[in-house]
Parts: sequence; structure tokens; C-alpha cells
Amino acid sequence: MTLFSQAFRPVGSAKVDPVLIALWVSLILLALIWITPFVFIVFTALKSNATVMGASAFMPPTELAFENFAAAWWRGNFSTTAFNGVVITVIKVPLGLFISAMAAYALAKVPMRMNKALFALFLFGTMLPFQVMLAPIFRQVNAFGLINTYPGIILPYLAFGIPYQVFILYCFFSAVPKELSEAARIDGASHFTIFRRIFLPISLPVLSALLILDFVATWNEFAMALVILQDPKMWTLPLGLMSFQSQFSSDYGELNAATIMTVLPAAIVYLMFQRYFVAGLTSGAVKE
Amino acid sequence: MASVDISGVKKAYGAVAVMHGVDIPIRDGEFVILVGPSGCGKSTLLRMVAGLETVTGGEIAIDGRRVNDLEPKDRDIAMVFQNYALYPQMTVAQNMGFALELAGRSKAEIKAEVEKAAEILSLTALLDRKPAQLSGGQRQRVAMGRAIVRHPKVFLFDEPLSNLDAKLRVKMRAEIKALHQRLKSTIIYVTHDQIEAMTMADKIVVMKDGRVEQIGTPLELYDNPANLFVATFMGSPAMNILPAIVQDATVLVAGVATLPIVAEAAPGTKIAYGIRPDEIAIDPASPVKAEVIVVEPTGSETHVTARLAEHEITLVSKARLTLAPGDAIGLSFSPDKHQLFDAATGNRLAAAG
Repeated sequence: MTLFSQAFRPVGSAKVDPVLIALWVSLILLALIWITPFVFIVFTALKSNATVMGASAFMPPTELAFENFAAAWWRGNFSTTAFNGVVITVIKVPLGLFISAMAAYALAKVPMRMNKALFALFLFGTMLPFQVMLAPIFRQVNAFGLINTYPGIILPYLAFGIPYQVFILYCFFSAVPKELSEAARIDGASHFTIFRRIFLPISLPVLSALLILDFVATWNEFAMALVILQDPKMWTLPLGLMSFQSQFSSDYGELNAATIMTVLPAAIVYLMFQRYFVAGLTSGAVKE
Repeated sequence: MASVDISGVKKAYGAVAVMHGVDIPIRDGEFVILVGPSGCGKSTLLRMVAGLETVTGGEIAIDGRRVNDLEPKDRDIAMVFQNYALYPQMTVAQNMGFALELAGRSKAEIKAEVEKAAEILSLTALLDRKPAQLSGGQRQRVAMGRAIVRHPKVFLFDEPLSNLDAKLRVKMRAEIKALHQRLKSTIIYVTHDQIEAMTMADKIVVMKDGRVEQIGTPLELYDNPANLFVATFMGSPAMNILPAIVQDATVLVAGVATLPIVAEAAPGTKIAYGIRPDEIAIDPASPVKAEVIVVEPTGSETHVTARLAEHEITLVSKARLTLAPGDAIGLSFSPDKHQLFDAATGNRLAAAG
């Protein structure tokens, strides 16, 4: 009761604030809307196919059909697709962040003649919707003979991930007082030492935020993988999910179990890093 | 420890020249303070000595070796910044030991140096803290500690006390001066605060618009300023400057006061008459009358701003005055304490003053 009534009052005030009530109500409504599909997926994943067809979609499962997960894993070839997803994500995400951080440091802190033009080029990269580039990229990857290979998918991922990360990190590095790198220069540090020993540690929150965004985006990426990875042995999880749907379209229980297994790693990574995520998105945005 | 020779140093950003040939000789172990208003080029000059700015013309030599084209780390200098520039993710000990670590010194050596410096600066208890957990004064001391551990030939300070509150500034002023006496190192220190300059320096360099106006000991500058700028910049409250006209053996100041002078100027010459606030006394018998505008008691002394003809003048009295704005007071000017300047050029007139 006290907790509930406190939520509707401004701190230190005895009066209930109608605006706060309205905000709480809309917050709860929004949360309900967002959580509905998850409830549907989890419930359905735990139902046998007969129950899915027979009962309402939002009825809790009466008997938990955990066998859906085992069946989905086996039928959807998850050991292959999960392995591919891990290889691609674990190489692409850290490598992309490292390249972006170095590029952003060079643009922000190393005086060069072309800094502005290069930064504009990166900005241009953030503006290109990659669907537009799907066909040309396919031709190029094909020309290099990289269709159905890890480099064939990782290189385009890097190309489309880096501009946005460079933009964010450039803003962050630019806001770092120049005295910090000057002090390090006087202390005898080279640019690479300054980058590794000073700038990387202080940008950990931003890097964590970018890591989450990039991990989730890479793990769940569908269109580019569909075009470039044509051999089912090279498929990632979202591709495996697609084939699942067409092959076993009648078995909703297994489909949803597969969906949960696909989304789970991304959700875990997100939860692990999300406290940095919030801090990271605002840091560097405002100059102190 | 080393001498520093700055000769004919110029700085230009593109076509815009900001420093027009600066010569400053600095002896081994000297505490030199560069002082001047914002934009006078004092910080730029310090950064050129540090190697953080390129030198457009002239030469900077440390210990007789030309350093114009050397990297900062090869100049054997250490710098303390206004905003401290401590590495936020490192502890106090790591901050202080960073330069030694980069120089490849052993862990034991670094530890010994850091502990020695920490002891000098009373930072021993704080060695494991991060900069964010320190107060402003403590951060300032860590920044100095970072400089001390390297035993540089020259210490450079760029307005190190500007971010501290007034009380702490006075304390740190004394600490830096004591540190200099202990280490006997060469220090170049930049400030816009003339009191800092007066109290700490062996030698003050007054700069304005990218030029050196005067170099001298604090009291030399106070007693014998080379020109109007130095006269009004050094000393607080500032020296009163009044327009005057030379007569035979006297000078007519502000059109109202006739005062005795001996100056090498022809009668009728227009000059600027300067007198420090503590050389003006309140004297009811004096024929020179002024009207009180503001009375500022500071406790030990009282500052009075008064209107003499159409000019405002400031005087400082040791006495506790019971004056109110609007009161009429008589003023007497200490004879022989004035300083006379050419009204056109601002340069000091050779005078028996």
C-alpha cells in the first residue's frame, strides 16, 4: 500500500499527482503491449500441437511440452546454425568495435589534413540503407568467390556496422579534454599507447553499449545472410528459423521453441550489459 | 634542472601572427612566472616550450640544446595542467607512475619514486584512490606528483590554481613555493593572477598581445614599471592613472591638483600621472577635494573609490574610516611616490620619481 501510494506522489509531497498516475498507467499499458508476443511465444512453445490448435492462444499450457525444444533443436539443425552464428558474431563484433575505435581516435585526436572529409565519408556510410546495397554486394562477394564463406558475410557486416560506431565513438572521443592526451604525450606515450591505455579504458561504457547493439543486430541479421549464405551448412539461426517455418508450418509448438532458442543468447547478452548501455548512450553526448 | 632560453620566438596560425618575437632568458633553478591578460600568448608560449605547439620562428633551448623540433617526451619536461588532466581510470599511484612505466623502469623503482613523491605532497594515504574520489586540492597535488616523479629538467605549470577556491589557492601557492625551494628546479608558471605572480616568482614576465612588456623581479615591476600597462596590471587595487600637464617644477593633475615633480619633460607636455592607492591619504586640510563613491572595508584596510574632477581614483587606508558615499574628502598625494608616463606612448618617463 505505501509503496503503491508513494509511486503516485512527487518526492517529499503529500499530494497525489494526477500526471504521475497517468504516466504509470500508460507505462503499464505499453509494457503489456510489448510483453504480449513474448507470452504468446513462451506459452505456445510449451504446448503440444493439439493444444495449440484446440485452445485459446493466451491460455497457459496445461501440460508442459518441453520435448518441443529437443525436437526443434534436432529438426532445425541448431547445432550447425548456432555454431555459425557464434563464429560470425564472435569474430565480427569485437573486430568491428576495435577498428571503429581506432578510426574514431584517429579522426578525433590525430591532426590530419583529410580529417573532415574522411569523417564526412563515414557519415555518408551511416545514411545508406543496406537493402539498397544487397544486389551490388552479392555481385561483389560473388566476384571474390566468397559466397557461402565466413569472410563473405563478415566483411559486409563490418562495412555496414563501422560507420555508425565510428560516429558515436568520434563524438565521445572529441569530448575528452585534449589535456588528457597531451599529458600522456608528455609522459612519453605514443598515439597507440594513448589509445590503448587512456582512451579504451575510459570509453568502456560506450563500447559496452555498442557491443550490445552490434551483438543483437549481427546475431539476428537475416537479409544479408539469406543472400550470401546459400548452403544450409553455413546458415545462421535466423535462416534456420525461416526454413523451419516452411518445413514444419503446422507445428507451432516447435517453431516457437526454436524462436526462443534463437532469441535467448541475444537477450542474455543484452541483460548482462544493459546497465552500461543506458550510461553509455548519454555519455559523450554532452560536453562537460 | 636546467636553463631555458627563449629567443625571438614567434607563433602564427596561418596568416595570423599571435606572437611577435619573444625573448626570455631563464636561469637554472629560477621560478619564472608568465603573467598577462587572456589572449596575451602566455599559455601558447608555455605550450611551445612543452612541445604541444609548433614554433613558427625563433628558438627554444633547454640546457643549451635546441628543442624546437623535439617531441614533448624528449624534452625532459613535466607539465601540470589547469584541469589536472589525471587519467580517470588509474589510481593515484598509477597516475604518478605512468611516465616511469612508459620509460620501462622496474616496478620496484617506480614504487620507490611514487612513494617518495607522495610523501613530499602528503598523498601517501591516497595512493589507491581514483581521481574521482579526490578533492580539487588533492587532484592538483597528484598532478604535481606526476611531474615530480620524473625529475624533469623543467617544470611547466599552466594556471594550475585557477580551478581551486580562494582559500585553497592561497594554501597551494605556499606549497608550490615551498616545493620549488625544496627541489630547486627550474619552473615556468603561467597565470593571469598578478598576486600569484607577485608572491611566488623569482622573475615575472609581463606579456600583452604576444609581446613581452617587461621582465623583472616582482618588486622591480611594482616599483619601476616600464610602461602604463605593467603599472596598471601589477598591484591590487590597480595604480591610479590621471591625465596631467607638466608645468615648471610642478605638474597639474586632472586639472585640479598642482603637485611637485622633477621630470625630464618640457612644460606644457601632456603626461599620465600614476600613483598607487596606498600612496594617497585622506587629509581634511588638503586643497584637493574629492567625492566618495564607494567604501569597501576589508578588515585590515579600507578601499575607497572617489571622484576627483571627472576621474575615479582608488585609495587604500589602514585606518577604519567612517565615510559614506557623497562625502567630500581632502586628498594628499605622497610626494616622490608617483610614476610618470608619456601620454602618447605609455612608456615611463625618465624621472626622479
